[in-house]
Amino acid sequence: MQEQKAIISWKVAGVALGLLLTLATFLVKPLGVSTQFVVTDAIVAHQVAPEATENNAYLNKYGEKDDWGVGYGWMLVFGMFAGGLVTSRLLSKKQPDLDKGSMPKMWELVFGGSRSKRLAAAFFGGVLLLFGARLAGGCTSGHMISGISQLAVSSFIFGIFTFGSAIAMAHFLYRKRG
Amino acid sequence: MQTLTIGFLIGCGFGAILYMGGATSYRRILGTLLLKDMTIIKLMCTAIGVGTLGIYLLDLGGLANMSIKPAYVGGVAIGGIVFGIGWAISGYCPGTCVVGAAEGKSDALFTILGGLTGVFLFALAFPFLETAILEPLNFGKITLRDLAGISGIYLAIPFSAMLLALAFFVLKDKYE
Repeated sequence: MQEQKAIISWKVAGVALGLLLTLATFLVKPLGVSTQFVVTDAIVAHQVAPEATENNAYLNKYGEKDDWGVGYGWMLVFGMFAGGLVTSRLLSKKQPDLDKGSMPKMWELVFGGSRSKRLAAAFFGGVLLLFGARLAGGCTSGHMISGISQLAVSSFIFGIFTFGSAIAMAHFLYRKRG
Repeated sequence: MQTLTIGFLIGCGFGAILYMGGATSYRRILGTLLLKDMTIIKLMCTAIGVGTLGIYLLDLGGLANMSIKPAYVGGVAIGGIVFGIGWAISGYCPGTCVVGAAEGKSDALFTILGGLTGVFLFALAFPFLETAILEPLNFGKITLRDLAGISGIYLAIPFSAMLLALAFFVLKDKYE
């Protein structure tokens, strides 16, 4: 792996993210992403099958609160997409080649170049990510970054178990084979 | 309406930082989890260090709109384990897959689709999960400040200093 630096250093990105979190906490509330997957599901499900959705104890919680529509949190995630879209169009020349595309080199070396295999893994990983995040009540942004910054006990627990399991799984996937 | 606009703008900043900082890169995330590339860990430690200080300074003036998640230990721990496995497999987390999809990465888009499916499965399983692992062992919305019984800033300053020291002086970029 040759050294290819990100567009901004971790120092700049880290300080900026910490200040953004502080600003968000001052203006509205801390950052969070995974809840908006529920809101999205609830909005879609409510269009398709309103009755079944309103009878679902979980979707109903989020649907009712947000009037089956978008709120601050959803706009935040929508903004993330917009921010990523604009910066990636403007700065793609500065992005290291190894960070581009959806077939990472290190994945290809171990799991082969099959596109459908990579996409299937990404999909399955996504299922586990959000199932786990909803079980735990948050994800990297809501629990780890926002939660630990508020010194929340539950977020420290989440951080320890998440990193523990992710580190173990990554080592298992990339163990020396053969 | 104003809140929606604020949300959108903060989101734009968040997305831009994740993209420019390289958090949507598979090799960086896996490099982090394989303990070979410390960039993302240092980014997170710095963000949390600055964020902790910022939030508890706001709190001194009663200006922090905190949102503490309840500590239901079983659900948080099991959820964290499941989340971690998904993180290592896809290389994204729920936030970075949104930004990665905006970059045009199809694996990020599939992580979003998987995520929406995962939430749907969770919603179906919720009545069972609620009584089995969400309700027992729930200690409520507690923070270290509540446990220590002192003003949060006295915890925030040393904690923040520790994280920043870790990022700036202790962790090294490459371990190989």
